[in-house]
Amino acid sequence: MTIIKKLLKNPTSLIGVIILSLYIIMAVGAPWIAPIPENSRDAYMIPRDGFSTTPSPPSEEHIFGTTEGQYDIFYGVVWGSRTAFRIGVVITLITTIIGVVVGAISGFYGGWVDEILMRLTEIFQAFPFLLAAITMTSVLQTIYGRGEAGGLIFMAKIVAFLTFGQNPAENLDPVQLQILTGMLAIIFFGWMGIARVMRGNILAVKEFEYAVAAKTIGASDMRILFNHLLPNAVFPILVIASMNIGAYVLTFAALSFLGLGAQRGYADWGQMISFARNWVPSLVEHWYIVVYPGVAIILFVLAWNLVGDALRDILDPRLRGSGSV
Amino acid sequence: MLNYIIRRLLILPFILVGVTMLVFAMLSMLTPYERASLYVSDIPKRQGAIEDIIEKYGLNDPIHIQYWHWMVGHEDKNTGEVKGGLLRGDLGFSTVGHMPVIEVIKHRLPATAELALLAAIPLIGLAVWMGIQSAVHHNKLIDQVLRVLAIIGWSIPTFVLGLLLLMFFYAQLDWFPPERLSTWASQVVQSGEFTRYTQMNTIDSLLNLRFDIFVDSLRHLVLPVITLSVISWAFLLRVTRSSMLDTLRQDYMTTARSKGLGERTVIKGHAVPNALIPVITVGGMTLIGLFNGVVITETIFNYPGLGKFMASSAAALDVVSVLGMTLFSSFVLVFGNLIVDVLYGVVDPRIRLD
Repeated sequence: MTIIKKLLKNPTSLIGVIILSLYIIMAVGAPWIAPIPENSRDAYMIPRDGFSTTPSPPSEEHIFGTTEGQYDIFYGVVWGSRTAFRIGVVITLITTIIGVVVGAISGFYGGWVDEILMRLTEIFQAFPFLLAAITMTSVLQTIYGRGEAGGLIFMAKIVAFLTFGQNPAENLDPVQLQILTGMLAIIFFGWMGIARVMRGNILAVKEFEYAVAAKTIGASDMRILFNHLLPNAVFPILVIASMNIGAYVLTFAALSFLGLGAQRGYADWGQMISFARNWVPSLVEHWYIVVYPGVAIILFVLAWNLVGDALRDILDPRLRGSGSV
Repeated sequence: MLNYIIRRLLILPFILVGVTMLVFAMLSMLTPYERASLYVSDIPKRQGAIEDIIEKYGLNDPIHIQYWHWMVGHEDKNTGEVKGGLLRGDLGFSTVGHMPVIEVIKHRLPATAELALLAAIPLIGLAVWMGIQSAVHHNKLIDQVLRVLAIIGWSIPTFVLGLLLLMFFYAQLDWFPPERLSTWASQVVQSGEFTRYTQMNTIDSLLNLRFDIFVDSLRHLVLPVITLSVISWAFLLRVTRSSMLDTLRQDYMTTARSKGLGERTVIKGHAVPNALIPVITVGGMTLIGLFNGVVITETIFNYPGLGKFMASSAAALDVVSVLGMTLFSSFVLVFGNLIVDVLYGVVDPRIRLD
């Protein structure tokens, strides 16, 4: 509980916590803040008011205006917060689990296991992250586009269950599938940072007296790993995970912006901003198509970064002020 | 020192082979039909023709044989002609670019290099200087302001920043237009009287003594350069600041002060050189930031470089092009990291003993 108390004491992290709470309220209260129209089939598809291409400015009916294709911006911003939380949290959860497992095995066993796993990590890190994510997304979309993807469908179903609560026995919704390809691509190239930190932590705590003591009294490998090493190595991981949420939401938004993430008309901030690409010369007139979804995503990422920064100072004095890597 | 460099060089081939294997693994997730553009520029529409191509280039062969062909090229048994082959510099054909992927890279690299160099040079200087100021004036007003700016810069998505900049400085004020050159200027550049030594417009225009074109290309570069550098700027500022703060707490700083050295000498002579060592290690991260940023920045500003090509290939699901680009960029990154590591070994004696 002292952690939360400290978070609320520090002015910058307090701002972060407040902004995040507002987003949580917005995400939970979305059906009341921006009611779903009666004829809607999917609440995450932004309702349209006509089909005209020209965006229309904020009015009483559409308080944030409508973007190209008459998608209501206010509805998209509100429901987009749900998309952001879902995507950020699920990707972070999965990459953290993969990273912790790989890092713990590598650090605990050492030797050739460590050598192989760390070289593998280096190979994955040899790719610029966003480029790798773009590449993997386009590969996955080509594969899933064929409708037969075997084991990959299984992976997509796990992520779909975690993200959308989709029943794994049912077929995947094509709208969701496009989002899942982007998420899977980010997961595929997103676990290495955690793995390296985890390995470093395990190596460090392995040398502590209590770990050596546990080994001398004949505790099993698994017992040492789970009862003695993991709990002591896990705090820095929490910090990195909290900062990763913002970063993953940003990456996914970038994919959407390039037309690879969420489908046209889906309540996703990056996708909404991508419409602005067609209106650059008249952006002064149509400022609202960038500013509202843009501010939504900036504040979301900012809040996570503020909280992550403060958490780092609180949980791990050794990391204090060391800059996020 | 030598040992350290040799060890790095020994790991290098493993990483490079690993990178190609990973890229090939992604390629082999495609059907033989989709992989055909590795070897042929135009997939024939005629019935049965595609089967001939799959047969001819062994796109149904066992995976390790295909990998081998992909690396060294595939020899046509009848004509003896060799096609494909990474080691021969052949990355296949780009459906989007209508030419071999390697040609696209050669063609577009100067534009991207110009953008990235112009972004990287001032960015490093400015970020390091600001980071030092921030640390020296720890918790003073300037430190607080810079910290807030850095965290905002770190949080703002490249595409939002780029669009906002375009909104103010192009749509509103018409100071800095998108794309690479104005129409009149690109006509001059492509004409016979203008020699394109480096293909980088700022340098070429100076060499051709065309200062009007120099100004025009700078006008087009201002906004993309800012957009591209903000995230890396924020990152470098934070790293420099924290490294400088750590250094200022060291015992040798107290020693230097108690010797009676002036504060300026202490900071400049004793703190800064030591504080900059960790900053070098994040050079690779900065390079990644530039690579990532280039894709988004060039797309927003319609700037004809590698990033724009990457984005449009991905949107068209031209996987062979996208993978070629990724492979190229990861090679650049691996060698960039090697340089960073060696530099680190040179400046930090502690690492040599390791």
